[in-house]
Amino acid sequence: MSKMILDFDPNVCCGCGACAVACMDQNDYDPKTGSAPFRTIFETEDTKDRPVFFHYSVACMHCSPAPCITACPVGCLRKDPETDLTVFDNTDCIGCHSCSMACPFGAPSFNGEGKMEKCNGCYLRLQYGMEPACVRVCPTGALRMVTEEEYEKAHGEYSLVAEAKEIAGKQV
Amino acid sequence: MPTKEELLKAKIPCPETGITVRRTFCDICSPGAHCGVDAYVKDGEIIKIEGTKDHPLNQGLLCTKGASNRQYIYREDRIKTPLKRTGPKGSGQFAPITWEEAYQTIAEKLLGYRSQYGAQSVFFSSGYSKWYRPFLQRLCYSFGSPNYGTESGTCFTSGLMAWETATGFPTRPDMRNCRLFLGWAHNPYFSGYLGARNTERLKKDGVKFIIIDTMYTQTAEKIADLFLQPRPGTDGALALAIGNELISNDWIDHDYIDKYVHGFEEYAQYCKGFNKDNVEALTGVPYEKVQKAAQMIHEYGHPMSIRESNAPLAHHVNGMQNYRAIMALSAITGNYDRKGGQTPSPFTFTHQSAGYHTLEHEFVDEARRRSMAVPVGGTRFPLWNELEKEAQIMDLSRQILEGTPYPIKALLAFGMNFRMFPDSEHSMKKALEELDFFVDVDLFMTDSSQYADIVLPACSSFEREEFKCYPGGYAYFTTPVIPPLYESKSDTDIMCDLARYMKLDDPLLTKGYRACMEYILSPISYTVSQLQDADKPLKVPEFRPHEEYAALRKGLLTPTGRFELKSEIIASHPEWGLDPLPTYREPLDDVDPEVYPLTLTEGGRLPNALHSRLHDVSWLRTLHPKASGEIHPDDAADYDIKEGDLMEITTPMGSITVEALLSKRIQRGLVSVYHDYREANVSNLLNRNRLDPYSGFPAFRSNRCRIAKKGEAHE
Repeated sequence: MSKMILDFDPNVCCGCGACAVACMDQNDYDPKTGSAPFRTIFETEDTKDRPVFFHYSVACMHCSPAPCITACPVGCLRKDPETDLTVFDNTDCIGCHSCSMACPFGAPSFNGEGKMEKCNGCYLRLQYGMEPACVRVCPTGALRMVTEEEYEKAHGEYSLVAEAKEIAGKQV
Repeated sequence: MPTKEELLKAKIPCPETGITVRRTFCDICSPGAHCGVDAYVKDGEIIKIEGTKDHPLNQGLLCTKGASNRQYIYREDRIKTPLKRTGPKGSGQFAPITWEEAYQTIAEKLLGYRSQYGAQSVFFSSGYSKWYRPFLQRLCYSFGSPNYGTESGTCFTSGLMAWETATGFPTRPDMRNCRLFLGWAHNPYFSGYLGARNTERLKKDGVKFIIIDTMYTQTAEKIADLFLQPRPGTDGALALAIGNELISNDWIDHDYIDKYVHGFEEYAQYCKGFNKDNVEALTGVPYEKVQKAAQMIHEYGHPMSIRESNAPLAHHVNGMQNYRAIMALSAITGNYDRKGGQTPSPFTFTHQSAGYHTLEHEFVDEARRRSMAVPVGGTRFPLWNELEKEAQIMDLSRQILEGTPYPIKALLAFGMNFRMFPDSEHSMKKALEELDFFVDVDLFMTDSSQYADIVLPACSSFEREEFKCYPGGYAYFTTPVIPPLYESKSDTDIMCDLARYMKLDDPLLTKGYRACMEYILSPISYTVSQLQDADKPLKVPEFRPHEEYAALRKGLLTPTGRFELKSEIIASHPEWGLDPLPTYREPLDDVDPEVYPLTLTEGGRLPNALHSRLHDVSWLRTLHPKASGEIHPDDAADYDIKEGDLMEITTPMGSITVEALLSKRIQRGLVSVYHDYREANVSNLLNRNRLDPYSGFPAFRSNRCRIAKKGEAHE
């Protein structure tokens, strides 16, 4: 497989949250544990005159290179060689939160046992010819899983990563 | 190669994991959707769901609500066995009983009331879901009671009545083929994602959009070429003003009106009262925008289709008349029964129009007895009674509590939610407390089922077989994805079982769901077995697409055979005190505007909620955890309220406290509260007697209120 990028178009997103719920279903998220879900939606409103709304769906950005991989002292995180998505095996996780501190987006979450979990891009679904759960459900087509070539072709100069950093700065 | 453990964690359907994919559909929301679902099943348990890719309706997609189906089905508060109440009403004390005991108790009780007080003393009601409704209606009539009533009496039926009054047909917008789309309260982003996709596609194709909404929605922002923002419940005045503008500029279709429209002269005369001198005062919409809307209709409105969203327009004391005033625009511009306009769409099954005929109507109607009492609400809402011949459920609590014109002793409810009734604490909740015998059938223990004498567990669409029709001529008959959980049963099996236990003289219903569906589907080429074996919706050969002008040429199902701007049904009953023309009156109550300066509206949609059904689904609740109300930031500043503060909302009926959300999507003067929260029941703030005299619908969306800051942001 070629290098894959989980692309997001904020101009199309309506903030419905279907992606977040499909992700919870895929990953057996249990709100009772108090851990954060992998994917979160945001709405911001520019209210200077006519309101203008911005909607975002945010999860692990699968950075390349990924600072979380470098930060993890026990080697839980790695790049999937097939897709270049950032995946994990938390068997050895010591719950030190180093990955979380290294992550510019606050993507890593910690489960009831204190072990790191996060979006793995549904890399195995991709390898079996299926889309990630969030992409599969997205009613507006704001979330797409594309190859690096497709991404470059679609975006040119536009940088989703730069925009995501701005949003991450607004998180409390 | 990934290990088996990794494949199982990723839920990959393959021989190594033993995960299989089975098909059904979601029935969380209204039958207008019911999207196809692929259920991933492992060892008899659903472990994941997603949309069915080749389903003709949703093509693989699901909405926020639908995506939560697995958690919805496996909710911890699923009712596991039949229960009988062992403590006082509302105490939550129940004991499990067998189905045998439950059925025998219910049969004995209902037959007892029938012989002592008459069959009309037993009320058969339906909330959500709605898939079984023709069966419940037939059970009711076979029992001999006229009292079948549903939540559609607060949701869909007002719009249906408006169309029946004017044309005799249910009607749908032919959005796909229009050049101009008049979206009146049309915001599908949060309530119907497939509608949002279609809207965006048409926008790209060059269709023009006029969006009219009390709120500045995403549709207003992304789609509208022209946006009008009237105050709640003033839609009728606005529509009449647009009508006046079209007529005075001679932008109307004279040939069409001459041939097919009744009452034009009187309507045109009445419209003159809504003009540049008063439209802004009446509606809040500047006159220039009314002119602009009329001009766009003139330039692009051939054809024009109109979406009159049912509930938001109907939830006012003047709701049905407002709806009729909007519909009139399609008649005077020659857009009714026209490709790309409004199309007469007779129902195929459960209020859905799929373009083919079934025997649903006969199935229900042949069980109707010749002489039955006037149904609940029939005397109070005579137009409703004339057109619908069902009970108007909005009068149910009054009749239970007052016992007039005859007593209601028992209620057999499939889905009951007292919070959908205005002034709930003193209306339906009190009625449930006082009722002699109440059977509640539901998936979950609800706050309403706490008052039931017997509670029966129903199952979800994943656990039963079911027929469903879709637009475009599709027929689908599902197979259960998993067996019913615990001891739950399909709603229709419960109805057919009850018919047997009560030994009703109904040979068809007592044969069960499948036999009934074979009868209902007898006009189509496919048998039930063929449909079920296909495992996907099949296009029925009997499908007939809409044929332009066919209904008009044949004559509409009205007294004059024409599109009646002036209703002859209403005109022939002056004793009803209703107006034959779509007249306008003020929506707000006459409580002191000095004390209650703001307008309370409830019922706006969140993408993660549907009435009370999903507030207890924790995945969805994480998206919008708190009961909340939205206000304009400038109004908030007047009351020193900040985002996240607690805000107390008060009407003469009472107060509730919600989290304040500030947004300029809300117009000034409006307080929009999301409904059906246990901790903040906004329906308690409404006057139960503020009902539309035409339809009986409650005024959920236009009531005077005041607000105050209750405290700082809380956790």
